[in-house]
Amino acid sequence: MKKSINKISERRAAYIFILPAVVLLAAFLIYPSLQTVRYAFTDYNIMRPDRIVFCGLNNFTELLKDEDFWIAVKNTLYFTVLVVPFQTVLALALALLISSRRKGVSIFRAAYFSPQVTSMVVVAILWTVMYNSSPDSGLLNALLVKLGLEPCGFLNDPKTAMNSIIFMSAWQGAGYQMMIFLAGLQGISREQYEAASIDGAGKIQSFFYVTLPGLKSVIQYVVMITVIQAMKLFTQPYVMTKGGPQNSTRTLVYYIYEQGFQKRNFGYACAVAAVFFVIVISLSLGMKKIIKAE
Amino acid sequence: MRKRVIAALLTAALTAGVLTGCGEPKKRVNEDGESVITIWSPSDEPAIEEWWVEKIEAFNQAHEGTIELRREAIVRADSYAYEDKVNAAITSNDLPDILYVDGPNVSIYAANEVTLPLDDFFSEEEWSDFFDSSKQQNTYNGHIYAVGATESSVALYYNKDLLDAAGIDVPDSKEDAWTWSEYYDAAKKLTRDGVVGTNIIMDKGEGLSYVLGQFWISNGTDFVNQEGSSAEGYLNSQEGVEAAEFLNSLIRDGYANIDPIQKEFHNGKAATMLGGSWEVATLEKDYPDLNWGVTYFPVADENGILTSPTGDWAASVTKNVQDMDAVKEVMRFLFSEENVTTYAQAISKPPTRVSSYDVLTEYNEYPRSVFKEQLMETGHPRPRTPSYSVLTAEFAEAMLNIFTGVDPKEALDAAAAAMDKDYNKYYAKD
Repeated sequence: MKKSINKISERRAAYIFILPAVVLLAAFLIYPSLQTVRYAFTDYNIMRPDRIVFCGLNNFTELLKDEDFWIAVKNTLYFTVLVVPFQTVLALALALLISSRRKGVSIFRAAYFSPQVTSMVVVAILWTVMYNSSPDSGLLNALLVKLGLEPCGFLNDPKTAMNSIIFMSAWQGAGYQMMIFLAGLQGISREQYEAASIDGAGKIQSFFYVTLPGLKSVIQYVVMITVIQAMKLFTQPYVMTKGGPQNSTRTLVYYIYEQGFQKRNFGYACAVAAVFFVIVISLSLGMKKIIKAE
Repeated sequence: MRKRVIAALLTAALTAGVLTGCGEPKKRVNEDGESVITIWSPSDEPAIEEWWVEKIEAFNQAHEGTIELRREAIVRADSYAYEDKVNAAITSNDLPDILYVDGPNVSIYAANEVTLPLDDFFSEEEWSDFFDSSKQQNTYNGHIYAVGATESSVALYYNKDLLDAAGIDVPDSKEDAWTWSEYYDAAKKLTRDGVVGTNIIMDKGEGLSYVLGQFWISNGTDFVNQEGSSAEGYLNSQEGVEAAEFLNSLIRDGYANIDPIQKEFHNGKAATMLGGSWEVATLEKDYPDLNWGVTYFPVADENGILTSPTGDWAASVTKNVQDMDAVKEVMRFLFSEENVTTYAQAISKPPTRVSSYDVLTEYNEYPRSVFKEQLMETGHPRPRTPSYSVLTAEFAEAMLNIFTGVDPKEALDAAAAAMDKDYNKYYAKD
């Protein structure tokens, strides 16, 4: 009898503990998400909140025919598919570089991590200056010209704009994943390496047969969060390219912003957001399934 | 049991959200019973911020017990940050009483009934003291929806030393303003040794519509029709395509940079620039060693129409206003002869009231006289259409596409279609 009373009060305590989180989530996440879905079926123009008319599936049928939307989908996937492996490998390489206990390593650790603590807007502005297409004002082009190469358009060339953003994003983001890998590396016991070396494994072999399997769950986690983050790409195109040139850097989230706030087509933007939500959810569920199946 | 509790929590949270979202608007009165009037305007340079502090203090002292004037300075940045904030306030019905808006946005807010007509704020005689260019920009459907204290204009700045070295003379009357071909040839001659011939505002944003739109007007067309309902046949007309092709030739041939460094002209890296009237003060103050001059805005080759950009931020009154009499009092104070003059002086822009020029005599002398003359005689505001936000974003995108290799006709067709689609979706039925 006494036991069950305890259990009830324990349960009540648990609810009280989760209450603040639930209230905040409901107010700032669940409620707005439901509203987004509702507005997706209206012609809501942000200037006329008093004249919202239900328009059925219009926004969605329009979406299917909207070339810019499909380009945004393509760009977002392109960014994700390239940046995730690039950034993950870079982060792992950096983590391996600084995992040794040599002197002075902490300086490098701080250096590799520092882009992460800088605001993305600041980083994006700095890289915009470095990527300037004229060798007189862009650092990277000045280097290219010094090396006797042709200057590159970087952000002004539809062929290179997205790749330029991918490179700087990986540079900026790798520091964070590096820290996670570093923690993962420390979780692999020394004995495994010793055993491997007694069995005659070299550095490369012990990396593939000890380090990588030991990091498996860390890698899964890193890939998962990087994918979700990559899908949400916004700041870089917003600051650096405004989605151009020729649509080459217009991502889904930037398109939502552009439609909703700049062009004030709020209902339409909500429809894009709803579709975006479905894409991200199915991607993460799919990835979870693959991971579980292993 | 557990499910029921969660359900109850969710419902409570949702109701709370709904209630806070749609509550009655707050009464705009302070503890002393004074009517509180709030102004939103972009944050600006120190001289202007000081002007605001001083004027608000003076106003509040004179109206103690009746009105309290407040101002919120809002960061504008060079993109759409300010408008994002206004959009949010429209949604939450929480607009300030007085809202400063950029000239071309006046029609958007007016068409959507976000702002109110102000025709009776000044007498006929008082209105006649305001510049036509400013009133034109601030008029929608026959009513005035905003009042501005200052105007802006753009002319062609040039580096005297570089032009002398290249043996190029500049026109000294607007009738002789450079034609596009003359402008192109000058830019071509001046491009050498790491200096580009000219700088055509390349901010990838509003600057493009503001300055480059004049090339459409000069070539005998415009962005949209008279009613502001369609861009088809205007933005993408033959004349429009020619204008785009001309601008593209400057970029393509390397006589202007697609992404110029900051202050390219000021630092001697561009020999000429299409620059705003506000640059005069910057150049005088911060670049005393630069030997510069200014001449009239270039004009299209054959029978080109003399033109120049105009338009500036102006104050409008929003639908959320509660004490209209107090707002009128504030507006009459802010745009009095004296305050227009001191404001224009602080911000170094040409004032909108003719009488202010009796005090600000520097506008009768070169170089400022060039801007005054353009404003009074050749100024054209940006298009007045409720679909302006779509139009300007599409135009900026089209120009960037053209500058990176897309066919001008194709790019302008797409922009015109997007603008027309927006108009037909929201405003055609009004």
